[in-house]
Amino acid sequence: MHDRILITQAGLAERTRKSRWPARLDLLQSATGLLLALFLCGHLFFDSSILIGKDAMWVVSKFYEGYFFFGKAHPWLVSLVAGLLFVVFMAHALLALRKFPVNYRQYRTIRAHVRAMRHGDTRLWLWQVYSGFLLFFFGAAHLYQMAFWPQLIGPHASSDRIWSDALWPFYLILLTVAVLHAAIGLYRLALKWGWPRFSRPVLKFLRGTLFAFFLTLGLLALAQYMWIGLLHSDHYGERYTPSWAAPETQTAQGETP
Amino acid sequence: MKTILTDVLVIGGGLAGLRTAIGAKQRGHEVIVLTLVPPKRSHSAAAQGGMQASLANVTNGIGDNEDIHFGDTVRGSDWGCDQIVARMFVNTSPKAVRELAAWGTPWSRVRRGDREVIINSQKVTLTERDTAHGLIAQRDFGGTKKWRTCYVSDGTGHAMLFTTSDQAIRHGIEVHERVEALALIHDGARCYGAVVRNLITGELSAYLAKATAIAAGGAGRLYRVTTNAVICEGMGHALALETGVAALGNMEAIQFHPTGIFPAGILVTEGCRGDGGLLRDVDGHRFMPDYEPEKKELASRDVVSRRMEEHIRKGKGVPTRFGPHLWLDITLLGRRHIEHNLREVKEICGSFLGIDPAEKWIPVRPAQHYTMGGVRTRHTGESPYLKGLFAAGEAACWDLHGFNRLGGNSVAETVVAGMIVGEFISDFCDRPDNNIAPPLTLAQEFVRREEIRLQELLAANGQESAFALLAEMQDTMTRCVGIFREAEGLSEGVTTLQRLLQRSGNLKLTGKSWGSNPELVAAYRLKRMLKLALTIAYGAYQRTESRGAHFREDFPQRNDRDWLKRTLASWPDEDATLPHLAYERLEVRKMELPPGWRGYGTRNYIDHPDTPIRQAEVERLREKLDAADRFAVQEALMPYRDKLPAVLRNHNERLDEPLEDNAHA
Amino acid sequence: MPDSNAPAEALRHRFLTLEILRYNPQEAGSLPRLQSYRIEEADGMTLFIALNEIRTRQDPTLQFDFVCRAGICGSCAMMVNGRPRLACRTLTLDYPDHITLTPLPFFELIGDLSVNTGKWMRGMSERLATWLHGREETVDVTRIEERMEPEVAEAIYEMDRCVECGCCVAACGTAQMREDFVGAVGFGKIARFRLDPRDTRTDDDFYEVIGDDRGVFGCMSLLACHDVCPKNLPLQTQIAFLRRKMAMVG
Repeated sequence: MHDRILITQAGLAERTRKSRWPARLDLLQSATGLLLALFLCGHLFFDSSILIGKDAMWVVSKFYEGYFFFGKAHPWLVSLVAGLLFVVFMAHALLALRKFPVNYRQYRTIRAHVRAMRHGDTRLWLWQVYSGFLLFFFGAAHLYQMAFWPQLIGPHASSDRIWSDALWPFYLILLTVAVLHAAIGLYRLALKWGWPRFSRPVLKFLRGTLFAFFLTLGLLALAQYMWIGLLHSDHYGERYTPSWAAPETQTAQGETP
Repeated sequence: MKTILTDVLVIGGGLAGLRTAIGAKQRGHEVIVLTLVPPKRSHSAAAQGGMQASLANVTNGIGDNEDIHFGDTVRGSDWGCDQIVARMFVNTSPKAVRELAAWGTPWSRVRRGDREVIINSQKVTLTERDTAHGLIAQRDFGGTKKWRTCYVSDGTGHAMLFTTSDQAIRHGIEVHERVEALALIHDGARCYGAVVRNLITGELSAYLAKATAIAAGGAGRLYRVTTNAVICEGMGHALALETGVAALGNMEAIQFHPTGIFPAGILVTEGCRGDGGLLRDVDGHRFMPDYEPEKKELASRDVVSRRMEEHIRKGKGVPTRFGPHLWLDITLLGRRHIEHNLREVKEICGSFLGIDPAEKWIPVRPAQHYTMGGVRTRHTGESPYLKGLFAAGEAACWDLHGFNRLGGNSVAETVVAGMIVGEFISDFCDRPDNNIAPPLTLAQEFVRREEIRLQELLAANGQESAFALLAEMQDTMTRCVGIFREAEGLSEGVTTLQRLLQRSGNLKLTGKSWGSNPELVAAYRLKRMLKLALTIAYGAYQRTESRGAHFREDFPQRNDRDWLKRTLASWPDEDATLPHLAYERLEVRKMELPPGWRGYGTRNYIDHPDTPIRQAEVERLREKLDAADRFAVQEALMPYRDKLPAVLRNHNERLDEPLEDNAHA
Repeated sequence: MPDSNAPAEALRHRFLTLEILRYNPQEAGSLPRLQSYRIEEADGMTLFIALNEIRTRQDPTLQFDFVCRAGICGSCAMMVNGRPRLACRTLTLDYPDHITLTPLPFFELIGDLSVNTGKWMRGMSERLATWLHGREETVDVTRIEERMEPEVAEAIYEMDRCVECGCCVAACGTAQMREDFVGAVGFGKIARFRLDPRDTRTDDDFYEVIGDDRGVFGCMSLLACHDVCPKNLPLQTQIAFLRRKMAMVG
């Protein structure tokens, strides 16, 4: 390893046999992206359980806190997942950063190129750069919040956060940007590795469908949370108790029965 | 003055030039290739159909060999070729194909079993041998007795050029792109290199070499309607002509390709007819069998072109505002075949005509296609007039093609000539007495002369536009020196060209830039092109017979008695308006194949007095050697193998001709 | 094709405005600008015909490159309304009456529409060693050639059809930002030799030339290369294929 450092310092890295790292990094970028995109899909499904009802959402959130395994909710499980995702997220961001325009000259060139070429997939990539850039902040903030306040997930807790804490604009942007980034990302992943072997028109259709579906799903769920939050604003901070549980077991500390 | 020294200077980066360069480099000589455009852009890439080599792999090629290829080539040339060179060529061509195969050319291969083909508009099932499976395939081409044309789909020239160019890169051969040789540096007896202009900066330099090879391709752009690329302006020919010493051979022998897309002249390959395509007239009638019952659409190019024009003259062309044309019908080959084997044709029809050739007929009319004439050389590729000057490929006249070239023989000639001339040029450089000190003073004189000429052109304040005169020349050539020629038209052509040559001294240039300047380029090429055009027109005027592609309506007979000779044009007096013509006799008494009927076209010729004598001699020899193998017979008729470089003398192996049985070498 | 009673039609031809980028790097003080030329459209007019008409009739100093003018040599690639195309194969008919022509980006500019693709391509060839690395140094050419399955030969030719016009690189977003990027043309070549059973190189060897961010891992799969390729080479699948193979080496 030491040799390698000295050889590289001498500016001779290109003269040695090629490092295997570019291959690994490329794979890693794709793998982390895939993981995040799949997570996002699952995440949105779980979020939208609210559309079925508060009970459904309560069950889903408790499920992730291990309630049904341990008989007791452990919000730190959510923190753990969020923490791990944060690592994946940062890795993905770091790897993707390699492809970003690194200075104004490059940015100006690629932007002019996109404008003059009017080539769909090239333009989409620029959107991915923009959305990826926004995700640095929005995604990171969201993950940070989930990692440190995992107990604040629940039919009422989430709704309060979204409505009464006025975070819905934040989620609106995060949702749109994340779904966009993921849909384009998955499409490009398929092209990049040649799998699944669908033709480009089919992949484009899937990309559009995926985007529309998850955006709609997310928006509906968001609207629902906002609506619940509005109705619940007088009881801000109160946690939800599933309909089958006794109302007097409600506590202010958490949404555990 | 920048001076660059090398062993071998090759002018032209197409197949012939690159292969010559590789040959010299492999023998340990330093080579520089000069080229107007990147080598892979050369016109060699446009050869779509294929390259003739008697490999005899496909069923319809069984029995093919050098002898049959030789016969086809000589008949194709209308006995105008050098039979020794033709022999050297047919023995080397299979080696060239196999060398390219080893270098990476993706030759189309034989697939065992049955396949359907179209022959004479009939569906025929051919069965390929198991033993031939995976070997290089051949297709049918005009003027050949066997299926002999090796091909890479319909991008043969492209694939060959890329293979060869990549090999040149592999060998580290220096290629100087976007430069143009303006003049050969010589002292009237020996050539020392060239004055070279950088087309980007305008800088002039002297390239000095032990040997200089011209491989700059053809001169199609002397004509208005041509299949040739815009760079095919005959500047290689002109370099030699302008020395005043070197001669050009048979410049009047110009080939017209039957199927140029009308009216742009873009080529659609002979492979279309080889694979079964038909020519039709305004009524949709297939007319070629009426004229050529035996070979039909697949007679040699000169014959088919002439028959087409003849048919148009009878009013059977399709009238349009650009003039009449005929149809090429390949719809009967089927979409699959067109999209696989004739894809280039499909693309061209789509981009330039907006039609789908699987459904519609293609409008075609003959267009200038090939310059059989070129820098006259010996069989070694060296000029007999200027020591150290070599030529190869279309720019050369070592005389493989005589008065008509067979389809598939030109792209074959490029690599074959490269292999042969590459060896001879190396031998030349190896000889200690050719190791000369660079003549710097002479070089300086030549560079200075070109510099003054260019400055004068830029400063000139005449009335004429170079582009306009060029267009007039091209018009004149297409009108007066085309497929059908006669004294009146030719004489009008010569006079017009002479006048244009005079007017070309009275130019005015708008752009005064010394560097990249398209107008300046047109201006300095103009005079050279006019001189070349005059060698063609004047040579055609003087040749009062019809031979191969040169057809005189007023002298429709081939006249071996008076004209079995090669025209040699030179331009000793720079200010003259006509070339000096001399003639070189072809020795009937030494011919392996004495003159006769070609087997297609009109049977109309005057025999040479020696022909019957030689014919009898040949027959006697053949009878005497009846039991001997074909190599012995050939050797007795016309020994040639000692003329080949030693490395190329061996026989060629075939499935039916194992090498052990006949290896004499 | 136009029919015989077309002449009356000729009067109704459009007038085209060609807006062409003019710049001569050889000339001190030359600044890039767009210059407009007006010409009358003709039947079957391609940009080859249009540009030559401008040069012979209006502006003899205009620089551009054509060689075969039949779409087979790859010399005349330029940006037509912002996208790389072979000019000789571009019918004006398919365009509105206002057409912008600019040189290919990325390559060294010679002047106006003329760029030095040849120089870059040679560099690429040397860098990637785009020639067949056969088993033997010399072959006995008198012997019957080595066999090859017909399908293999066809597949190689499919990739061998590249004319090195530079359209793919000019269209490539990656190449615009990273000037040492190999480009689709390079990947196409590697894919071609990788397919060739006569080539002795292994994936490890190919990794040495394209296994980094200047090579296949730099490609962002924007696929403009695939979409503009005048030869319709299957670049999308070939690059993806190479990426998988090279990732396996890593």
